Amino acid sequence: MGKVTLCSDWLDVCSGCHMSLLDIDERIIELTKHVQILSSPITDLKHPPEEGCDVGILTGAVSNDHQEHVARTMRERCKVLIAVGDCAVTGGICTMRNFFDVEDVLERGYVETESTDENQQVPRSPEIAKLFPQVKAVDQVVKVDLHIPGCPPPADALWYAITELLAGRTPVLTDDLLTYD
Amino acid sequence: MPDVSVTIDGISGSVPAGITVLEACRRLGIEVPTLCDHPAIEPIGACRICLVEIEKQRALQPACTFPVSDGMVVHTRSDKVVDARRFVLQLLFSERNHFCMFCQMSGSCTLQDLAYDYGLDHWEFDRAFPRLGVDASRDYFVMDHNRCILCRRCVRVCDELVGNATLGVKRRGANTMIIADMDVPFGESSCVSCGTCLQVCPTGALGDRASAYMGATDEISRVKSTCTGCSVGCGVELVVREGRVIRVEGDWDAPPSDGLLCEIGRFQLQHDKRRRVREPMVRDGESWATVDWENALSKVAEGISAGDRACTLVSGLTTNEAAKAIAETLPGDKRQIGAVLLDESDGLEAMDEADMFVVVGTDLTVDHQVAGFAIKRGVRHRGARLILVDDGENGLAPWAFKQVGLDEAASVLDVVSGAEAPMIVYDAAAASVARSMAEAVQKASCVCFTDSANTKGLAAAGIAEGFQANGADAYLVVAGELSALSDEVMSALEAAKFVAVQASFVEPWSDVADVILPMPTMWEKSGTVTSADGVDRELQAAVEIEGLSEVAAIEQLGALLA
Repeated sequence: MGKVTLCSDWLDVCSGCHMSLLDIDERIIELTKHVQILSSPITDLKHPPEEGCDVGILTGAVSNDHQEHVARTMRERCKVLIAVGDCAVTGGICTMRNFFDVEDVLERGYVETESTDENQQVPRSPEIAKLFPQVKAVDQVVKVDLHIPGCPPPADALWYAITELLAGRTPVLTDDLLTYD
Repeated sequence: MPDVSVTIDGISGSVPAGITVLEACRRLGIEVPTLCDHPAIEPIGACRICLVEIEKQRALQPACTFPVSDGMVVHTRSDKVVDARRFVLQLLFSERNHFCMFCQMSGSCTLQDLAYDYGLDHWEFDRAFPRLGVDASRDYFVMDHNRCILCRRCVRVCDELVGNATLGVKRRGANTMIIADMDVPFGESSCVSCGTCLQVCPTGALGDRASAYMGATDEISRVKSTCTGCSVGCGVELVVREGRVIRVEGDWDAPPSDGLLCEIGRFQLQHDKRRRVREPMVRDGESWATVDWENALSKVAEGISAGDRACTLVSGLTTNEAAKAIAETLPGDKRQIGAVLLDESDGLEAMDEADMFVVVGTDLTVDHQVAGFAIKRGVRHRGARLILVDDGENGLAPWAFKQVGLDEAASVLDVVSGAEAPMIVYDAAAASVARSMAEAVQKASCVCFTDSANTKGLAAAGIAEGFQANGADAYLVVAGELSALSDEVMSALEAAKFVAVQASFVEPWSDVADVILPMPTMWEKSGTVTSADGVDRELQAAVEIEGLSEVAAIEQLGALLA
């Protein structure tokens, strides 16, 4: 049997979840014996290839139309989709803005912030992805097969989940591996 | 009532009739998760996390409110029950803002703990994101309605235990909101800032300002001690992290107040902004120099020896052990700073038995507040009546059916005599009036609060007289965290040739003292104090301070003066 192929991508995210994946440390060598990483934010290929992959990982919440596109592409091109981290699982810290109107959030972020220069405007270029009124978890946009919460999830939780999947079992997070912060 | 037999998770047992399924489970050693339930208050079945399957019942029932009956068969861990609890948790999490990663209570939250226990790795429901406010109008703690699960623990402790009934709810269902009084900001309400609601909140809805993000459950330790804020002697749990007391909580298992504290005991010391005395300080003209203990003590010995008449003034915040050292090793006159009233007193526990309270000359919403709570809850929930014998305004007036002046005390004696279990509550302010009332109504029990936490202990050690200007010109003041002095004491100190103070804080001593020695606060010392009810209560140091303990400092000074 060939190696299991894996793609990962990120949405509205601080990148901490990918850091946590790297925190499996030397186990990454063991991982590469069984898994081939086709695309990720830290490889040359950034997005999953059209031929698809076995396992897809998404970190981060869905905050804008571009991220929704990224999430849908990953879903279409992978067999098993894992939502990694609180933002992907529940919306997480990104949902702090859900308690305000989008325009107020943009004004605050680009114009009113104490450190902002005078005469700043909210950028309105059509090149920039459009914020949704509400941040969503990945499973509110596409079907998710496995959730690994945590801010970030412990490296051990990610290692456990991947090795269980490789062994053909469904990972069930318990004890220290299940955390929301 | 006779016992009934129940079978829970296959374990059969006999339990008293009338108890709830939850209590029966606990008696049989079966754990059932709870959230809105709290041992100190009545159950209301608000949160539904304790749902259990009871045979012959149509639907799952909340264990906390459902009474047992003979032959009842209960399942607490069936798939149906576990699924229902996971469902309840998901509903709770998706209702408001229950995102742990930006909550100050993450790691100390019952809701979070339950979600971990039930393996909740995501929520199936859309989130509502209602825009609810944060009420930060109170000095010591904040109410974030977005974190509230409407368990009503806060509402119930405020009503059932504190008797204040400030908190309530408005609207219904998911739109329910916790409110204060007729929906005013908490800081403008009748709230007495006792913080009992803060202590029982199972989520991050009520958050302590001082200890926010300072330590989660697995990072803290707890030290049981006694509050010396007044002579009630409430049991406290000092919450410690890295050598600092970050928060004070009431000890549910400790008499006499069973977990209740007042604003003074819970918050005052934590928010005291005065400068601490960390090292011995010696006056050098207008400024102060820090010196080592040896130098400081010899300076004190010198100053006191040079006077014609020495006097040691001891605050009631001093432990029995330190009082003994003072009485045995220091020469000269020894007096308490406050008034010394040593009448026999019942404990706070007796207040829940009285059917009529006569409060004489003291405002229990200011001093001995936890006793005020006992009266309020007695009036609200047991139909006890309150008579105030006091000139002028008294915070308990809304709970009283009658108020008379101190010189009219005799006019209420008939009413008091008519009660089955009258109780007279007083302190040093109007002791003679109270005593004559107690004499006239022989069946009345008495609760008499002393001036300070350890007035009785100091007296027992031989320091039995209060302050009097006696011509002393050299003073040692054992002050502790005392913050205010009577004009009489202050002017005596100002007139003296030499004043040494053992104090936790620099103020108000920097104007009158020649030497200031460090003294631990109530969180930093071990020993005992004798409360108003004559019970010795233990203090346990939660934090060790550097330098000499208060007892060692007194003993060394005594040796120098001998």
